[in-house]
Amino acid sequence: MITARPSRLRKGMVPLPGVAAPDSEGSGGGPVGLPGRRRARGGQGGASLAGAAALALAGLAALALPLVADAYVLHSCIVVLFFAYMATAWNFVCGYVGQLSIGHAMFAGVGGYATVLLFTGLGLSPWLGMPVGGLLAAGLSVVVGYPTFRLRGPYFALTTIAFAEMIRIWVENTDTFLGIPLNGAAGLTVPLRGESLAALQFNGKAPYYYLIVALLAGALLATWRLERSKLGFYLKAIRGDRDAAESLGISPARYQLVALAISAFMTGVGGGFYAQFFRYVNAERLIGVDLSIDIALMSIIGGQGTVFGPLLGAVLLAPLAEITRGALGGSFLGLHIVVYGIILMLAVLYLPKGLIAPLRTLLLRRAGRGGAR
Amino acid sequence: MTVPFSRRAVLALAAMAFGSSAHAQTEIPIGWVLPLSGGSAAIGQQARTGVQIAVDQINAAGGIKALKGAKLKLVFADSQSKPDIGVSETERLIQRENVAVIGGAFNSAVTFPATELAERYKTPWIVMGAVKDEITERNFKYVFRINNKATYDAREQLDAMDLLKKETGKGPQTLAVFYEGSDWGRSHASNVRKLAKERGYTIVLDEAAPPNQVDFSAQLLKIRAAKPDALIAAFYTPDHLLLSRQLFEQQLNLPFGLHSVGGGTEDPSFYKAVSPKAVAYYFVQEDRQVDALQGERRPEFTDVEKRFKEQLGYDMSAYGAQGFSVMYVIREALERAGSADRQALRDAIAATDITTGPAMYVGYQRIKFDEQGQNTFAHGAISQNLNGQRRTVWPAESRSPDTKPAWPVPAFGARS
Amino acid sequence: MAPMDPLILSFALVNGLLIGGIYGGVALGLSLIFGVMRVVNFAHGSLLMLALYATFWLQALAGIEPYASIVVTVPLLFALGFLIQSVIIAPLIRRESALVVEPLSALLLTAGVYLVIDNLALMAFGPDVRSATTGFALEPLMLGPIPVNMQRLIAFSAAILSAILLSAWLRGTRMGRAIRATAQNRDAAALSGIDVPLVYAVTFGIGAALLGLFGSLLATFIPITPQVGLSFGIRSFIVVVLGGIGSIPGSIVGGLVIGVFEALASQFVPATSAAILSLGLFVLILLVRPSGLMGRA
Repeated sequence: MITARPSRLRKGMVPLPGVAAPDSEGSGGGPVGLPGRRRARGGQGGASLAGAAALALAGLAALALPLVADAYVLHSCIVVLFFAYMATAWNFVCGYVGQLSIGHAMFAGVGGYATVLLFTGLGLSPWLGMPVGGLLAAGLSVVVGYPTFRLRGPYFALTTIAFAEMIRIWVENTDTFLGIPLNGAAGLTVPLRGESLAALQFNGKAPYYYLIVALLAGALLATWRLERSKLGFYLKAIRGDRDAAESLGISPARYQLVALAISAFMTGVGGGFYAQFFRYVNAERLIGVDLSIDIALMSIIGGQGTVFGPLLGAVLLAPLAEITRGALGGSFLGLHIVVYGIILMLAVLYLPKGLIAPLRTLLLRRAGRGGAR
Repeated sequence: MTVPFSRRAVLALAAMAFGSSAHAQTEIPIGWVLPLSGGSAAIGQQARTGVQIAVDQINAAGGIKALKGAKLKLVFADSQSKPDIGVSETERLIQRENVAVIGGAFNSAVTFPATELAERYKTPWIVMGAVKDEITERNFKYVFRINNKATYDAREQLDAMDLLKKETGKGPQTLAVFYEGSDWGRSHASNVRKLAKERGYTIVLDEAAPPNQVDFSAQLLKIRAAKPDALIAAFYTPDHLLLSRQLFEQQLNLPFGLHSVGGGTEDPSFYKAVSPKAVAYYFVQEDRQVDALQGERRPEFTDVEKRFKEQLGYDMSAYGAQGFSVMYVIREALERAGSADRQALRDAIAATDITTGPAMYVGYQRIKFDEQGQNTFAHGAISQNLNGQRRTVWPAESRSPDTKPAWPVPAFGARS
Repeated sequence: MAPMDPLILSFALVNGLLIGGIYGGVALGLSLIFGVMRVVNFAHGSLLMLALYATFWLQALAGIEPYASIVVTVPLLFALGFLIQSVIIAPLIRRESALVVEPLSALLLTAGVYLVIDNLALMAFGPDVRSATTGFALEPLMLGPIPVNMQRLIAFSAAILSAILLSAWLRGTRMGRAIRATAQNRDAAALSGIDVPLVYAVTFGIGAALLGLFGSLLATFIPITPQVGLSFGIRSFIVVVLGGIGSIPGSIVGGLVIGVFEALASQFVPATSAAILSLGLFVLILLVRPSGLMGRA
């Protein structure tokens, strides 16, 4: 994201004809630009078999975990995978279009609230409530995204915060809306049904674990497909140079909206999962700016615009918070956030492609050495 | 090669087994979930300090005698005021730290889902600070609350007005309610609304404000325009500081005073930051009886109050006192249970009926739980800030003879 | 809603102008830094928070009057801003030497600074609320029956004055002209012998120094907590976007507009709804007139 379109805003603000040329070549001048990705493509033939084997192995290991782990480990893994899922969903649009959304929590909030309200109000099973919540989130994303995707860089980022905050403050201060009991700041509780597959409530952790693994696998698969689809190609073209893409007949608004809607759908489903797992939603947390920032940071630090970067970011950052909390027992207030901030700064400065970039180079080099080439 | 290895392993295992069993006899882990960072960190810190002092005292006095002098070991967890983090930390305390009982978690939004988890794991939980009614209305067997429910707080504020009205024949007719727009402020306002209607008060202004304001001028103008006889306020410390200063600067007169439901006005750091003149004649719904339990009257509490002040730099707060009190309830239950087993401890806590001792520090006359785990003897007190001291004016029986409530309160111009 | 008393409304207007001017003053640095460097400084509010604490501690430990502490806080914040620019942000600019810093990575970088500063403050100062009090007997100015707070009036005047002085300085001095030249065309400025890294560091320093000034002026009436920066930071974004990013007078005008808008709206709807409305106004301005009220389109 760092190198792709630096002069975009500048073109709007201060005319500077000399800068447009390197930019329109699609970030060729940057330190880690498209060439890196091209290389990735090139290495695919050799790496794909090893990659697939590694993936299958990782998948098997993931599926076997509940057999050996105790409830706390499983719980922590669910939380980490939840963030990995949310970061992957965020990456689906933001990573590929190169826009920074700090408002994705609004989609999680819509999904979470809808899942709970459909269950308590209409008795609709969360298995249906979660996708319905996802669709509502996708609907909201179109309303929000249609006007805002014209904005670039920080403007877009600030607008997404503003939208999410408007929704959060509104929900916190609305007890009922059109007869729907939003319950204001007090939040909503998922009524206890005991062990019930239909109500998506389980006494053990394993079912939640498998559910979030499945969701994450789905999101990763969707991202993988995106990289190889026309939509993904268009998104990257838009990201590389919006004007050039437009002149080629690619409608930036349309493709960005499609990607945003899919991302919002996944985030909304994630909000539904949060509601079912914690059995409680409140606006301050689920629509809060903290959650939006967490999701975005994990994706950015891990490596946005890649399939596995957000997963890597979540797997590294979410336990970091947990470990510092557990180890320090709150004796240094906010220390883990300081660590977060420092990692973020270092990543922006030295690993603009995310932590996954050096990892991938390493893997590719290995695969290249071992492969037929 | 394999022999020495396995011998070493056996030895290590034996040491571990021995170590851990010895561990279980001498130390009883007690978990606390508190907001130690984030917006409510000050309160979390006060509660933690009160809890720590109580445990230091208990351990110094020989630990739990029914368990051969076993010591209490505290394990603190930071919820950051976020429900999901509070739940995850509860999971850790129960699964990893193997705590016998958990206290916490101040924020209702954290306490509510976290206690559900404790109930599922059959781990007793004693609520500290959280006032959401529903916490003890779910037929749970493992969740107990010593302090007030939210509805008690609102009722006490109006009770105090009614009492003063009865005593003097004068009282407010119209009320304004001004509160912070998150869970606590909003639920308090809705309780006030309900009760005020029943008791014949008219609410002329009902206004929420988002937390962390930088200016209340616009809201004060609204209060000025609505001309209420009294103002009921629910704000945390920073916002309450801003409100109190601006009310004072603007000399906005409320004939029957400002009635704060605590929050900022119970926070000792608030009184360090605000001019005493700005808070003169304030009515505060206190979670403990501030004046009845000062050190000079109850010498057994000088130690805790001295240590609290040493550690935090200000006098004992309601949340410090609550944390302190919860630990003594736990100790008393452990002594009766004669076991740190969760089930036995739960039964002992449920059978609690204390009327004396350090557990009463908060100012209750009795601690006894109903079948929902709520201490029905919980009550607060209403104080009025007279000559720089918060003096209890309600309930009448707790009011000391030299406390003369100022009612109606003098106008700003008429104050010395 | 009951019909509004015109007296009340006129005081709402006065209060709105007062607090709006203060918002504008606080936002000046944010606007300057963005205008010159295209860096959205997410840590803007955090720097104000540090200035507030500096004022508080100077009074608590050394007994220095808050208004007098300006002589310490302004240079202190200048140094801090200079340092942040030359140590943290400069490497980013160097990396993209041919281009202006990408605003988005600069935003992320300063977001990291914000996380670090705010939480270090929490660790160092504790979560308690603090306040500083001025030793001057500042009697409120009576406007009819309603008093106007003097501390706010002083901060308001300082905001207007700093905007005027800053504009004059940017026009009239060698450094000011260098800053303006760099803002217009960095490469041309560099070619004509301007030390661009120095200009950037000075710009960031001045943006922070302004916060040092307002930290001392605001400390006497704003509750000081480690989180206080964020509410000012977010408001500053709104103000700057409204007035036009990079425009010095726009910052003041944006502040006045948002202050009056919130003060008047609050008379008819609760403060929570007013907050939603001002965010809505922010989004609307961005969508309809991204250059802001005073910006050049």
